[in-house]
Amino acid sequence: MKLEEFSPDSLPDLLPLYYKRLFPYGPFHRWISYGNVEPNYFQNREFSFTLAEDIYIRFKSFIGREDMEKEIQKRCPYKIDIGAVYATRPQERHMTAVFQPQERELVFDIDMTDYDDVRSCCSGADICNKCWKFMVLACKVLDAALREDFGWEHLLWVFSGRRGVHCWVCDDTARKLDVSSRSAVAEYLQLVTGGENRAKKVVIYSDKLHHSIRRAKNIIEPQFESMCVEDQDILGTPEKMSKVLSLVPEDQMRQEIEKEMVKQSTSKARWAALTSVVQSWIKRGQLKKWRQFLVEEIMLQYTYPRLDINVSKGMNHLLKAPFCIHPKTGKVCIPFNPRAAEKFNPMTVPTINQLIHEIGQFDEEQTQGDKSQVSSARRVKDYKKTSLNKGVVIFEEFVRKLEDTWKGKQIKIEASDASLNF
Amino acid sequence: MDISRRRKVNKVVAGSLAELYPHNLQMYYIPPIAEISLSEFEDLALERLKVLRCLEFVNLKGANKFSDEWKASLCEEMTKQGLKNFYKMSTAPTCKQTDAELQYRKKDHLSHFILRLAYCRSDELRRWFIARELELFKLRFMSLNADEIREFLKINNLSYSPISAEEKDAIKDELYESTICLSMALLSDTDFFRVPFTDVLELVRSRKVFVQAGFAYIPSSEFVAVMSSVFRATLGQALMMTYRRLPNVDDERLVPLLKGLHTSYVGENFKTPKGGEICIEDLDQHAKTSYPLCMRFLHEALRSNHHLRHFGRLQYGLFLKGIGVSLQDAMRFWRDEFTKIMDVDKFEKSHAYNVRYNYGQEGRRTNYTPYSCMKIICTSVGPGEHHGCPFKHSDVQILANKLKAYGIANNYVTEISELVKGSHYQVACGKYFEATHGKLSNGIQHPNQYFEESQVALGNRPAIKQEPTSQNSQHSQPNNYTSKPKTVKKEEVEEDVWGGDIDLSSIDMDVV
Repeated sequence: MKLEEFSPDSLPDLLPLYYKRLFPYGPFHRWISYGNVEPNYFQNREFSFTLAEDIYIRFKSFIGREDMEKEIQKRCPYKIDIGAVYATRPQERHMTAVFQPQERELVFDIDMTDYDDVRSCCSGADICNKCWKFMVLACKVLDAALREDFGWEHLLWVFSGRRGVHCWVCDDTARKLDVSSRSAVAEYLQLVTGGENRAKKVVIYSDKLHHSIRRAKNIIEPQFESMCVEDQDILGTPEKMSKVLSLVPEDQMRQEIEKEMVKQSTSKARWAALTSVVQSWIKRGQLKKWRQFLVEEIMLQYTYPRLDINVSKGMNHLLKAPFCIHPKTGKVCIPFNPRAAEKFNPMTVPTINQLIHEIGQFDEEQTQGDKSQVSSARRVKDYKKTSLNKGVVIFEEFVRKLEDTWKGKQIKIEASDASLNF
Repeated sequence: MDISRRRKVNKVVAGSLAELYPHNLQMYYIPPIAEISLSEFEDLALERLKVLRCLEFVNLKGANKFSDEWKASLCEEMTKQGLKNFYKMSTAPTCKQTDAELQYRKKDHLSHFILRLAYCRSDELRRWFIARELELFKLRFMSLNADEIREFLKINNLSYSPISAEEKDAIKDELYESTICLSMALLSDTDFFRVPFTDVLELVRSRKVFVQAGFAYIPSSEFVAVMSSVFRATLGQALMMTYRRLPNVDDERLVPLLKGLHTSYVGENFKTPKGGEICIEDLDQHAKTSYPLCMRFLHEALRSNHHLRHFGRLQYGLFLKGIGVSLQDAMRFWRDEFTKIMDVDKFEKSHAYNVRYNYGQEGRRTNYTPYSCMKIICTSVGPGEHHGCPFKHSDVQILANKLKAYGIANNYVTEISELVKGSHYQVACGKYFEATHGKLSNGIQHPNQYFEESQVALGNRPAIKQEPTSQNSQHSQPNNYTSKPKTVKKEEVEEDVWGGDIDLSSIDMDVV
């Protein structure tokens, strides 16, 4: 059997198998139920399906794991989105007067297309190992801020299947945030602002660096030269140079930097020229106090996480569920470990046809082997036979940690239930 | 009616004025129980309305809120409206129990609760009311000295205490680095409070304080932010409660008054176009002559990229609806442009829905209102996006170049650049109007208003008659376009027609 390139036309054939044998319903259901510490947390959750031909069904909800499993396998959605938790079951929303989202993970969406003005290797939906480094940095910076500044621990990082990453903050306090708190957090984490009519998108305007920016800078700085100056060659051509120069507000300084830069022939040497001019200005005290972070501003503009903050601000924004198949690339939306983000390679994420192929091969080997062992092999969970396994392991680890937090609460609930059982 | 609760409230509210109003600054926890005449009721409402309207007016001038410039401007405006005393009491409280002071506190209390009744009716009204009341609260809070603040916290059972010296010492570097406008020298003298970050969202949002493990460390100078969020939350909740109980207010003398009060405040909403239909074939022409700059930018970005991002589509799409482009035309307009880079199928699938949505034909079926300047100015704009206010969201140099390319005279370009540097975005927009029309504008508040005014100025449309200013309209000039007041008809609430006093205690506004 030879593995073929994924083609979107094969989805109707592959999806039923994927949903039947591979989708990790168990941990998925355990995650969304959050230990059922609050009654009906799973039942009142909105899901939405995108079916073939872009048919879109919102406000679906499930009673339990079996119901969800049956429905997904029946419909074989191209895409599953997860929405908010409501006070009643979303499917019965017409029966209540007020239908407002109550809770929802705090979510972040970072999309490679937002980096088009700073990457030169690819554009639009394409990604390569060079520009993926932007995602790795974004993940590191954001992960640190969420953990240290806001004290959240249960962060699920997921590759979105094509050109971006999602982060689900699942801590109790994060799920309970109201809309204005979400927007404050999102804007706290948004540093690169300004549209097409603004060249300089990061302005610090202070003589001090806020600790969250300093931390970001410390993460970014060691990577900057190799990923931006070299890989993206940000000073390689006169046009690219003028783009960087437009970020220097002082006319005289800009001219001086330009003069030094044109003497050099590589991006790396030009970047060194830029930093040394700025340094000498700072040393001579010629730079205004609130302008002294000029180099930092440039580095941050190129590499600080560019969030689609409207996704984070809303309570009812739908976000693609982990373990969906991206309908265009066939790749799985697979969780990854933020601490080892640099090792995650989006190019090698398994596609649906690869997985189906792997499972076929495994079965073949089994049947060729001792027939008596087939029954015991059946007990091996199907995803463990494939390259999906790694993602599921990370996901299960995440769910297990989450479960530790509600163990205490659950025991209390069980105890109170038991006391009612005469 | 819940008798037990009423009794409880009675107990609290009874007493001399000095007991009732121990402090100049109030949290308005307890509704008033008093009998006042109908005319008093109306006067109180209108006076507070004037105050809030002054605040709104001054905000539009573009000075930084609570800056000295802003305060001076507010003082001037309030003096003009005969509210000098109110301004003085709010900004320089004596906090002594003089009779004048106590009367002022009582008025403050009553008028606040009367306006709650008028402003709880819709989301938009509530938002407006909360925003203005919050400004008033902040203004007053910032005028208090340390003792008065302590007294205020004590009266309202708000216990906040600074972090210990050891704790402060352990994080002093972070505090210094992350607290805005704090020098090392000041650090040792400053008390810090540790509060959940959700209590000081504005400080967190703008990265003005140190945040760790979900807690914000705020210096005492920023304490007003904590109080503001408490105030906002309490008022927001109270307004919802009032709204739910509003049907119980069946006093037929009050209903028209309350309704009148709030309609006197709804500005033009531009949901339905006033002029004739606009033909999409003329849009290129209109963009040059009649569009405000924000829409001109969007239009040109759309024409050159054949695409706009989501918020650009919303801002421009709703504007088009407002100037009179029909749904069919809008659909054709977007389709023709977008299909230059995508096939019709993709457009129908991903974008047609949103065009119909703007016109209230999909989803919640709300007839969405075109965005006002305030909304556009406050929006955030990211890389690759063209929406927002060009005066706020552009580099001055890029803006100046564009204006020059549009053929705007140099003296205007310089003037506009200066205004933009001083953050006077709407004034700058007015200048742009002046430069392109050779006429003064009435003050720009809304892109659609700009368009209408431009059409009138170009002679394409007859002038809109200004309603004569009435006793309710406090601002004759610049902003009369957005808050065109409708007078509360005096006869409807005339005392001798309906007679009798109003028992405020009969209006259930208790939130406890």
